[in-house]
Amino acid sequence: MEASFSFERTETIARAVTTTRPSLTYWQDAWRRFKANPRSLISLYIIVTIGLFTLVGPWVWTINPMLQDLDQISVPPGADRRARVVEPHVRWAITETPWTTSTTQLAVIGEATTQAVRLAWNPVAGASGYRVYRDIAEPNSPDALGLPLTDIVNAKITGFEDRLDLKPRTYFYSVVALSSKGFELKEHATLAVEVTRVITVNEAIARGLSELDESSLIGETVYLDFHPLGTDYLGRDMLARLMHGARVSLFIGVVAPFIYVLIGILYGSIAGFVAGRWDQLLMRFADFVVALPFLLFMILFKIIFNTEPGESGIFAMLLAMILLSWPATARLVRGQILQIREEAYIGASRLLGAGSMYLILRHMIPNTMGVILVTLTFAVPGAIFTEAFLSFIGMGVAPPNPSWGSMCNEGIKTMLTAPHELVFPAVFISLTVLVFNLLGDGLRDALDTRMRSD
Amino acid sequence: MNQEPRASQGNLRRTAGRQLIYLGLASLVGFGSLMWALASLSEGVAGSALDAIAGSVTLALSEEPPQLDSSRATDTVSGQILGHVMEGLLRYDEFNRIVPGVAERWEIGATKATFWLRDDAFWSDGSRITAHDFVFAWQTALDPQTASEYAFILYPIKNAEAINNGQLDTAALGVTALNDKTLLVRLERPVAYFNSLLVFPTYFPIKQSFYEKRQGRYGADASELLYNGPFVIEKWVHGSQLRMVRNSHYWDRNRIRLNVIDYAYITSDVNATLNLFKDGKIAIAGLNSENLDDALQRRWKLERFNEGCVGYISFNHRSGRLTRNRHLRKAMQLAMDTNELVYKVVAMPGNLPGVSFFPVWLQGVERRFRQEFPAPETQVDITQARFYLAQAKKELGLDEWRPLTFLTGDRATTNKISEYLQQEFKEKLGLDIAIDRQIFKQRLAKMSSGDFDMVLAGWCPDYADPLTFGDLFASWNKNNRGEYKNPELDQWVRIAQNSLEPHTRMNAFSKIQKIIHLEAVILPTYETGSVYVRDPRLKGVVKRAVGMDSDYSNAYIDG
Repeated sequence: MEASFSFERTETIARAVTTTRPSLTYWQDAWRRFKANPRSLISLYIIVTIGLFTLVGPWVWTINPMLQDLDQISVPPGADRRARVVEPHVRWAITETPWTTSTTQLAVIGEATTQAVRLAWNPVAGASGYRVYRDIAEPNSPDALGLPLTDIVNAKITGFEDRLDLKPRTYFYSVVALSSKGFELKEHATLAVEVTRVITVNEAIARGLSELDESSLIGETVYLDFHPLGTDYLGRDMLARLMHGARVSLFIGVVAPFIYVLIGILYGSIAGFVAGRWDQLLMRFADFVVALPFLLFMILFKIIFNTEPGESGIFAMLLAMILLSWPATARLVRGQILQIREEAYIGASRLLGAGSMYLILRHMIPNTMGVILVTLTFAVPGAIFTEAFLSFIGMGVAPPNPSWGSMCNEGIKTMLTAPHELVFPAVFISLTVLVFNLLGDGLRDALDTRMRSD
Repeated sequence: MNQEPRASQGNLRRTAGRQLIYLGLASLVGFGSLMWALASLSEGVAGSALDAIAGSVTLALSEEPPQLDSSRATDTVSGQILGHVMEGLLRYDEFNRIVPGVAERWEIGATKATFWLRDDAFWSDGSRITAHDFVFAWQTALDPQTASEYAFILYPIKNAEAINNGQLDTAALGVTALNDKTLLVRLERPVAYFNSLLVFPTYFPIKQSFYEKRQGRYGADASELLYNGPFVIEKWVHGSQLRMVRNSHYWDRNRIRLNVIDYAYITSDVNATLNLFKDGKIAIAGLNSENLDDALQRRWKLERFNEGCVGYISFNHRSGRLTRNRHLRKAMQLAMDTNELVYKVVAMPGNLPGVSFFPVWLQGVERRFRQEFPAPETQVDITQARFYLAQAKKELGLDEWRPLTFLTGDRATTNKISEYLQQEFKEKLGLDIAIDRQIFKQRLAKMSSGDFDMVLAGWCPDYADPLTFGDLFASWNKNNRGEYKNPELDQWVRIAQNSLEPHTRMNAFSKIQKIIHLEAVILPTYETGSVYVRDPRLKGVVKRAVGMDSDYSNAYIDG
């Protein structure tokens, strides 16, 4: 027992490294190539930013996208937000007592605010009534005094209260006397009126614009709610609406292609793998699906699912897209598989006893991955654009929910007066579609070495 | 392989960048020159709206008429076209006076009216208009099988109501053609405003032989209609164009100075219409709050027109509908701020905030009706509204409010109003509103079938008497789309219909006004007015609240 052999493990001799460069997998290699392409990298950053904008944005910018700020309708970004707090409006009871002054023909009673402008004028002899005009520039001809606000058919009434869509700017009010037959007489008086922006005290308190209580708030200047990208035609915050609209647009844009590309991969790889008569049959069916009109099916699905008014047509849209868009991917994948199945390594694998499923999943699909990814990235902008188009024609989301397409549809109506309502959603659609396209381009260059352009 | 990779990539990037710049510049220049070419091309074709030599006027129509069978027409667009291509016994002249039409002279008494038709009144096929054509038209409109929604307007005629309800045969109608040229009308009751009814499309004649040959297609197309008005429809391309030319068989053809009225565009898009006006393609264009500033900057003379219509939210009172509950309707009434709606949201000049279903312009006994009987005021009161809403919830036995379906049209303004109200009711009352946007035809169809909870509707006067508004919610009125039934209101309508005494009638209208407000049968939103621009060379266009919207039959082109 004394003498015993003790075996000692010899140290493993480090094998000499024969490669001079680190070994790269297919993905590492692709990523290296992808990184070298600044265009694709920038696209990727922008996509991540849009993703954050959509998912995290509503938590950061917590304004309700449906909330209507009626004191700031169709306000462009960076507009002046200062407003004086005033008491709630009380209707001006205009009596038949003639209003007279020795100084002017036409005057403003009280203060001219965005709430109301009260005008009074001297009676004109021989008039049967008056017509009140409002213009945005000084009238240069008695034929064009601006917007006719009202006809007063009683000559004794020489006052008028204007409440129509008053903006903080200078207005030129004109009063023309009417003859007994209702024609305009020559005489008219014009007055320039400077209108100041105000907000009623209860509005200010309800919106939490100030800490002060009701009585001390009156006369104070407060800042109205901040809208970084302006507001739409109902005073709703554009930024919040863009964030919420992005959810619909990107949901459709990402989910629909993902599902139909998946279906296309399965279908195409089966067809490509079985080949022969079955392949012919499957692919002719795919051809048949290609021929089906998308819009018609979209409408049919809306009817089949009995989409109630007020419900969005998103599900019908998604279904129509999935059911009708897969053949393109299927064709592509089938072509790839047909090619791969003839490769030597497939034959080797088969000899080693690999089953069909194993061959498809282990060898064929991974080898078509590059093509699939490229298809997917090109499918996304297509889907986003389809969603935008369908929402634009009113087939998509139900009001008041926004989507980029429906926002464009609303914005186009005010294109001339408030271009920001159209420009922002349009820019978001264009940008998203562009970056996904550029990303797809970059991916193709990186993944599919045979198709590289350089 | 000889080149250093890095440098090659840098080169590539630089050339790509340069390429991009070149391409960008080239496309910009190309685009610019294309725009310029198009603009200068369109300059050349501009000014086709008025053709003084051909005597033609090109206009835009807001919607397409569903059909032009005068016995079944209900909407203002149909009225606008029918008013130009058909003529009743009487018509309005350019000063809004009632003057002879097909009838040369007439006598209207308390129980009967006699009309003597003129010799030279012809149909557009050259045949003579006879008293039988009126008898046939009125009987057809009252036939329950026709299901005319305007049949009620014939009810002053003896037995009309019973026929319309299917109790009597159409032959029993109190209208007789004494001979080809004399029409005798026996009245159910004395009607103060019977002459102003005769101007209305339902009272227009229809030639029996022609009508029957069409087998239900009467009025569906230009060739499916026989005309007797100042114009005939020459071409009707559904959805895009409706062209009218002067009717050479019209008896008063010398009065007509225009040869062609071409509704070459059918669009409700005000911006599109205004662009057409800018390009000189149409002679009249309406304005809205969006393009108003543009019009002001162009220094056009703007004109204002009181359309006389009332916009309102009509509730569905059919059984099983939530809106049948009075407290729910009251809650919405108290939550709705029509001032805000009209002045801030719609922001269209000419509109007045809705206070009553009876618009301000209606004549009362001596002064305006609303001056004599002021409308009950509604102050926005959210606390009270919520109280009513809680009561309604209890009465209906609901745990949660179901979304209410709000049927609307597809115009920009209606979209605005419906979305504004949707959010207002959500915010103030917590009610969910589902907006159901439909095109005009579909909206009318859904209103008739009762497929709604609330509908954004409008009512324009058919004749110059408060009754045109007053009897709309009578239980027998087919235009009472919400099927509101109230015996008390019905009774006041009967009084207003049957009396000739102005005080009694106006008092009855004030009672109706009160019931509509108290029961919140409907919610008036606004009284419509509009602002438009007109090509100054087009003169003699008559706009009126009652009857046709715009009457071009006296219009002419000056210069």
